[in-house]
Amino acid sequence: MSFVPGIGIVKGMALTLRRFFEPKVTVQYPEQVPEIPPRHRGRLQLLYDEYGALKCETCFQCAMACPIECIDMGGTDTKDRFHVHWGAAEQYAERREEQALRRSGRPVPDPNFAAFDRADTTRLDALLEQEEHDPRRLLPILEGTQEIYGYIPVAAVKHISTATGIWYAEVYGTASFYGQLRLELPAAHRLGICRCPSCSLFGGGAVRAAFEDELGVPLGGTTPDGSVALATDDCHGENAGTPWVTLDGRPQRDMTAAGAVRLAQSLAGHAPAGRA
Amino acid sequence: MPLLGTLVLLFLVLMLGVGTGVIPGIVIWIGGVLLANIAIVRFVVAATAVLLFTIPTAFVIIFLELKVIAFMNLRIGPNRVGPWGTLASVVHGLKVLSKEDFTPTGADVTVFTLAPVVTFVGSVMAFMVLPFGPGLFGVDFNVGLLYFFGVGGLGVVGLLMAGWSSFNKYSLLGGLRSAAQMVSYEIPLTLSVVGVIMLAGTMSLNGIVQAQSGSFLDWFVVRQPLAFLVFFIAATAEANRTPFDLTEADSEIVAGFATEYSGMRFGFFFFAEYVNVFLLSGLAVVLFFGGWTAPVPWPWPVHVLLAPGELGLALLALVIVVPVVGSALFALPLWMLRSEWPFWRAWILGLGLFSALAVGALGIYLLINLDALLGIVWFFAKAYVFVFTFVWMRATLPRVRIDQLMGLAWKWLLPAALVNLFLTALAILVVHP
Repeated sequence: MSFVPGIGIVKGMALTLRRFFEPKVTVQYPEQVPEIPPRHRGRLQLLYDEYGALKCETCFQCAMACPIECIDMGGTDTKDRFHVHWGAAEQYAERREEQALRRSGRPVPDPNFAAFDRADTTRLDALLEQEEHDPRRLLPILEGTQEIYGYIPVAAVKHISTATGIWYAEVYGTASFYGQLRLELPAAHRLGICRCPSCSLFGGGAVRAAFEDELGVPLGGTTPDGSVALATDDCHGENAGTPWVTLDGRPQRDMTAAGAVRLAQSLAGHAPAGRA
Repeated sequence: MPLLGTLVLLFLVLMLGVGTGVIPGIVIWIGGVLLANIAIVRFVVAATAVLLFTIPTAFVIIFLELKVIAFMNLRIGPNRVGPWGTLASVVHGLKVLSKEDFTPTGADVTVFTLAPVVTFVGSVMAFMVLPFGPGLFGVDFNVGLLYFFGVGGLGVVGLLMAGWSSFNKYSLLGGLRSAAQMVSYEIPLTLSVVGVIMLAGTMSLNGIVQAQSGSFLDWFVVRQPLAFLVFFIAATAEANRTPFDLTEADSEIVAGFATEYSGMRFGFFFFAEYVNVFLLSGLAVVLFFGGWTAPVPWPWPVHVLLAPGELGLALLALVIVVPVVGSALFALPLWMLRSEWPFWRAWILGLGLFSALAVGALGIYLLINLDALLGIVWFFAKAYVFVFTFVWMRATLPRVRIDQLMGLAWKWLLPAALVNLFLTALAILVVHP
């Protein structure tokens, strides 16, 4: 068929004639408003909800998707614990300036924004030199960093990202994924409570409630002054008819609710050095 | 008071003039002079009519172009000015009128000013010989077709003048490019028509239409399909339509001869282009598709016995009585059905319905009794099919290269036209020795 001369012209003319009768795709905008899908994002901008909290979850997906890495963003992580940041602040400092954002008509940034503390990076630099700035050795680097500082400060994450070329979000994601890596200083004391059915039957719930009431933090939390971390533990069947409680790994036998109150009172207020 | 006085005075003068026989004398004298020079009168009337006719034609074609191409692109097209955007092209025209009329420094002002006029006049003058219906043509030349192509060739002169006088090397190149294209395509265009002339035995366009009267099997497209193909392609190039619109090639190269033109002078070039589209569509219909003849002749003759002139005073009574009775016929049932309506509302609706019916009936009566009206309807229907095809092609086909354009004209269309010419001559020799 394709050897017939002029068949292409006929096919083309037939196509346009069919199009002539097809329904038209134009939306008469001011009169008809198109139905916009709920997940449509027409314009990238930071939004605040009705309580004034930033809606951005700082997932960095937009920054990772941006092909020319022009998105420069900062915020707190999902648990509202750490300030995280993406992009070279030096390069885009002008754009992040509050007045510049106001002029551009966008919402002004989080008023609680505070720059992270600068960390002394001499030992970290030595570690990075030893690991040859190799992105594939991120885990040893992070573990070494934790040995140096006792935890992984945000400044160190940023420094590692700059030195190795790994995206900040990947360094942060790796650091927050592994259980042995900490993003904050450990508490001075660690209170462990077993939550197995056996311990619960022997009054574990009352002990836990006493600790939570006295320390003012839920299970899994740390007191604001950093003196006590309340965590879950496992008795491995070793409880001898009493709830299993450990203090810094040492079991505390015959724990009752009253004893828990006394223990908590003795521990509170002994903040470790270096904690605000 | 002065108005009333003037009116009374005029009336008195009129009465006096009629009474003494002065005014009838003047009227009869003017009529006599006009009758004595009927050819001149006819020419002036036809020229004016054609000139006036080009304006709505161009506007309609521009509107068609906007709307049809939009529809083929799955867009809606103009829809803001007038119903369905029909006035969009008129607004375009007004916009062009309101623009600054600019003449570049160093331009040959006389030629620069004359160029659009020459292009436009060429198109308008060609209209004079186009038969729109039986008896509806400016002049019935016996060399009408030759005149048509001759005057149509004026367009090339206009483009060349525009290119030459603009004092711009790009305009000159564009003008020469247009001239080369149009002169090249004049040849196959003219040669393709010779077969039709030989079959019809005349170059009068009216004669050619009459030679095709009968059914659609008598149309020359049946006997001259190759000639029609060559004619159509060459006409597309001649009218500067896509895929051969290299003369101005809106989207690709500098606008050619029209680079330095602005305002209504620029508008005239495009006016002429759109008039040309209709002109060549009309010529295609006249030469190959039977002009104003119906594709299938009305199978039984219609004789409407009622001649309005014979009724005399009864006609007057009819004109007064029939609308009232007809309106009542429609209004009363409406009023009875919709008792909540006031009577005047039903009456107005009844009058409207009756008027629609009466106009329809009158139209049918005129169509049956006036061949000219039916002819015009057929002519325009056929011509606008071709106009639509030109627009359709513009929406579909990509532009050809200049060497492809020239190669097509000289290597394919010219030999094809010659072959058609010799075959036609041979066939005539065989059939009518």
